[in-house]
Amino acid sequence: MRSLRLGAALLAASALALATELPSYQVRLTAARDGSGQAMATVLVGHCPAGLLVLPLGFSAPEDLKLEEAPPGTRLELGARDTVSSLRFQLQAPIEAPVALRFSFRVKQVLQALKTAPGEKGALPAGSRLFRHGFVNTQETPISLYRLEFQFPEDLIAQAVREQLPKLEKQETGPRVLLSALEGRQAATLTYANVHQGDATSMAVELVPRQRSLVWLIAGVTLAGLYLFHFRDLVAKKAS
Amino acid sequence: MAAAVPTPSTQPSLRDLLDMEKMTLSSKTREAQSSNERWMRYLGFPGGILLFLAILYLPAGAGASASAQAGAACFALALVWWVTEPFPTYVTSLVLMFLLLVTRTSNAKAIMDVLGMEVIWLNLLAFILSSMLVKTRLAKRMALWLVLRFGHKASWALLAFVVLQLVLAPLIPATAARCVMTLPLMIVVATIYGSTEATPNNFGKNMMLLNLGCISVLSSVTMTGSSANLIAVGLIQNMGGHRVYYMDWMMLGAPVAIVTMLLMWILGQKLLFRIKPEEQVPQLEGGLGLVREQYESMGALSFQEKKAIAIFGMVLFLWMTDIFHMRWFGVEISAPFAALLGAVVVLFPRWGILSWAEADIPWHLLIFSAGAYAGGLALDDTGAAEWGVRMLFGGMNLRGVPFGFTYTVVIAVMMYSHLLTTSKTVRTLIMIPIIITMAKALGWNPVSLALPAALCIDWVVGLPISGKPNVILFSTNQFTVGDNFKHGMLTCTIGVIILVLSGATWFHWLGITPAFWAVAP
Repeated sequence: MRSLRLGAALLAASALALATELPSYQVRLTAARDGSGQAMATVLVGHCPAGLLVLPLGFSAPEDLKLEEAPPGTRLELGARDTVSSLRFQLQAPIEAPVALRFSFRVKQVLQALKTAPGEKGALPAGSRLFRHGFVNTQETPISLYRLEFQFPEDLIAQAVREQLPKLEKQETGPRVLLSALEGRQAATLTYANVHQGDATSMAVELVPRQRSLVWLIAGVTLAGLYLFHFRDLVAKKAS
Repeated sequence: MAAAVPTPSTQPSLRDLLDMEKMTLSSKTREAQSSNERWMRYLGFPGGILLFLAILYLPAGAGASASAQAGAACFALALVWWVTEPFPTYVTSLVLMFLLLVTRTSNAKAIMDVLGMEVIWLNLLAFILSSMLVKTRLAKRMALWLVLRFGHKASWALLAFVVLQLVLAPLIPATAARCVMTLPLMIVVATIYGSTEATPNNFGKNMMLLNLGCISVLSSVTMTGSSANLIAVGLIQNMGGHRVYYMDWMMLGAPVAIVTMLLMWILGQKLLFRIKPEEQVPQLEGGLGLVREQYESMGALSFQEKKAIAIFGMVLFLWMTDIFHMRWFGVEISAPFAALLGAVVVLFPRWGILSWAEADIPWHLLIFSAGAYAGGLALDDTGAAEWGVRMLFGGMNLRGVPFGFTYTVVIAVMMYSHLLTTSKTVRTLIMIPIIITMAKALGWNPVSLALPAALCIDWVVGLPISGKPNVILFSTNQFTVGDNFKHGMLTCTIGVIILVLSGATWFHWLGITPAFWAVAP
């Protein structure tokens, strides 16, 4: 009897997943100078029965979660404490035509400064910050397109994209993480299409101060000057 | 035939020149030959630094990372120094490797690992096999025969190599393998025409650079000419939805490649590195008569020569049959491992031919190659090359312009983009998807742009670091980076012109390209 009930529950869950369509899930995260971040996410729902819709979230401790746009009567709350990286939408009515669910939240610290203990080798130079983001589709409903746009603080630029997973498939045009400009700041966009249950994507970007050190300029000009002086005999006219 | 007889006091005898067992590939800096070269050396050093600083401090484009910008700056500095030669090229490579580390373009492991790359191993093993051909005098015998058969004029000797490379291209897909096979012949024939490492002349430049062009460009005759061609065919099929058959490729690629190389055979000796009429004959006392005498004095094939033929034949067999290896042996013996097996037999005590000390391995050239590859890989890994290409295409509004204009831009960018990367595969993986996507966005059939662009994949002839054969041939010291650049750019420009003319006519008649003046709906 118990197994019958479990089977029925699984069937119902699969039917719900099959009936639900998620054409896109896009998050724009804007980082501030103090390292905090403000995110605005838009999930396009193509089709969904009324009731509970659970979506994964790629951030472990979102704060000030707020539903910005949704069909009337929709409620949003974070998943249970031990599954905090999920969102629970309670839909009052079924969705039969594409509708955007828009919500915002705050992330306390999006940029990590790797601290090293005394005597320990440093992994990053002083002034560098690391942004890491990972997203796993923990739900049965596939997501046609997942995109995260991370807008850097004004005074930082990308030193390098340190991680971009998964590797591109043959039919994909790269790169997985694209650097670009977004409202006057540099941004990194992670894109992953056809995210099925269990599929994961991640990126890590190292950020450095926009202003380069003048050491290179001083050293370069000095070296060039010294060379021109010490090697002037190369072009000196030889006495016949 | 009246051969110009050089004065005995200034010219070495044929016997001296062909006594190649005593020759080594020198690491000495080449003396500046003219006042211009001295000025280039003097100004090249600060010039490279200024270019480095200019690129480093330029406001970065939003699509490039700081490491991509630093990588481009380091590579530009090295390029200026390689061309102007304020230092020997291998010192520049060492500087480049250090700069890549301290500018945080690459990490130490990535830079150091380059010395273990396939191309470096192939280079090293190629020199062992070359040494075998030289020591057994097989290279000398084959070269003397070649000169006697075709070398009544320098031009015909050069043409004989074009034909040789054309025959080898479909048989041996690995360009480096073709280069290694023919390198000893090139060196000895160049020597007969008076061009040695110590005293390179225009015949030597033509010989090396024409062969370099043939080895690379003639790979585009067939779609199996290189693995990058096959990747492009796969991309066109998967992304563009068009299947490219062997004959489709050949009908497009063969005429373009062959006509270009025949034109370069003429232009090389008539325009770039002019071979004067008096240099058209062997530059040796006694001329062809002495060549014949030398050839006849070698007598029948010695046992050592036969052994060398057998060893080289085995390596050649493995190079030519690589597609069957998995079926036969359960493992693919790639080109470097086939050469490695050959080297093991060559160096085997008693049964072999050489001792390690007799193998002439120019480590300075391997260091040069390692640095150059580290720089090229940094451009690829940091995304600098891809960003440059995207900027170039993105900066042009090609919507609503006639097909011919878009086609010309795509071909030119594809052709010259080889200067930014050291890997044909990486370049193919970056460029072909961009071109297919762009073609779709502009409303053109993807194959009309992607297939002609794919024909440019193998034309990696601009710099000594652009491909494996380039690195190997640069080791002969018969030409400078500047010579290579001049010859390579002319080859590529002729290629672009022929591809554009073909796009407007031949490819259009075959149904690959639309009319040049057509505008997409």
